[in-house]
Amino acid sequence: GDLGPFNPGLPVEVPVWLAINLKQRQKCRLIPPEWMDVGKLEEIRDQERREDTFTPMPSPYYMELTKLLLNYASDNIPRADEIRTLVKDTWDTRMAKLRLSADSFVRQQEAHAKLDNLTLMEINTTGTFLTQALDHMYKLRTNLQPGESSHSQDF
Amino acid sequence: SFLQGSKLEIPLWLAKGLHDSKRRIISVELPKIYKEAWRTVFSADANVVDLHKMGPYYYGFGSQLLNFENPENPEIAQTILQTFIARFRRIMDSSQNAYNEDTSALVARLDELERALFQVGQKGLNDFQCWEKGQASQITASSLVQNYGKRKLAEVDG
Repeated sequence: GDLGPFNPGLPVEVPVWLAINLKQRQKCRLIPPEWMDVGKLEEIRDQERREDTFTPMPSPYYMELTKLLLNYASDNIPRADEIRTLVKDTWDTRMAKLRLSADSFVRQQEAHAKLDNLTLMEINTTGTFLTQALDHMYKLRTNLQPGESSHSQDF
Repeated sequence: SFLQGSKLEIPLWLAKGLHDSKRRIISVELPKIYKEAWRTVFSADANVVDLHKMGPYYYGFGSQLLNFENPENPEIAQTILQTFIARFRRIMDSSQNAYNEDTSALVARLDELERALFQVGQKGLNDFQCWEKGQASQITASSLVQNYGKRKLAEVDG
């Protein structure tokens, strides 16, 4: 697409990759997203700790954006260290919640689950483990039905 | 040749081949871990059992055992399933949790199916940590290319 116009001193919206590139070449200063702020992130972290469900995150790429901006432009982000800690704390809470949900799902032998507001990063970290575990559980459940055809060789 | 009524240890595949519900050539005795006494231990707390020592293919072998008509099959099948469900949490937590200390004690007690699952969980975590450190964007030579170089040298010297 088209970008610009680039006028000195005036903020302009660009794709992240370009922003990082220009920053690395010391040609600009980055403005963090409105949610990358200690107050806002504290609210999110607290809500995450309070609720059983997953908080809708301000960006589906909150982890990726935090990492990129803190790596390349921490000088443009006020209280960067606190931001880093807050995001990590929120991630940890969400992952623990995900494991809790998974355990509850397995124990109740549910057939379907719906988890709203997860980001791809979270899904990818846990996804392979979960699908394989559920696969095994499914096979063990078919054992409960009598009949030779259900006892397959492949484990 | 065998005397009728004699008791032998044979591999599972042979037992399956000889087994025929109509002709009753053989009957299969359950390994003790699938019998009632042990099933009670499992239902009390499946997490304490060393499934590697008792197995190491507790789930796979147990599932195969169900091929031989045994009146206890429904209980065996249920115990195997419930055991998996009970142990699932610890395997998931220790394979996926970055702050865990030494997991080797837990892994030592896992059967082969659980160990494979543990590895998968570890990989998910390792991939995430690798990304976090920024290693995911480093280009490294594929191992195929690295080994090709080594092999060529060996040919020249040998």
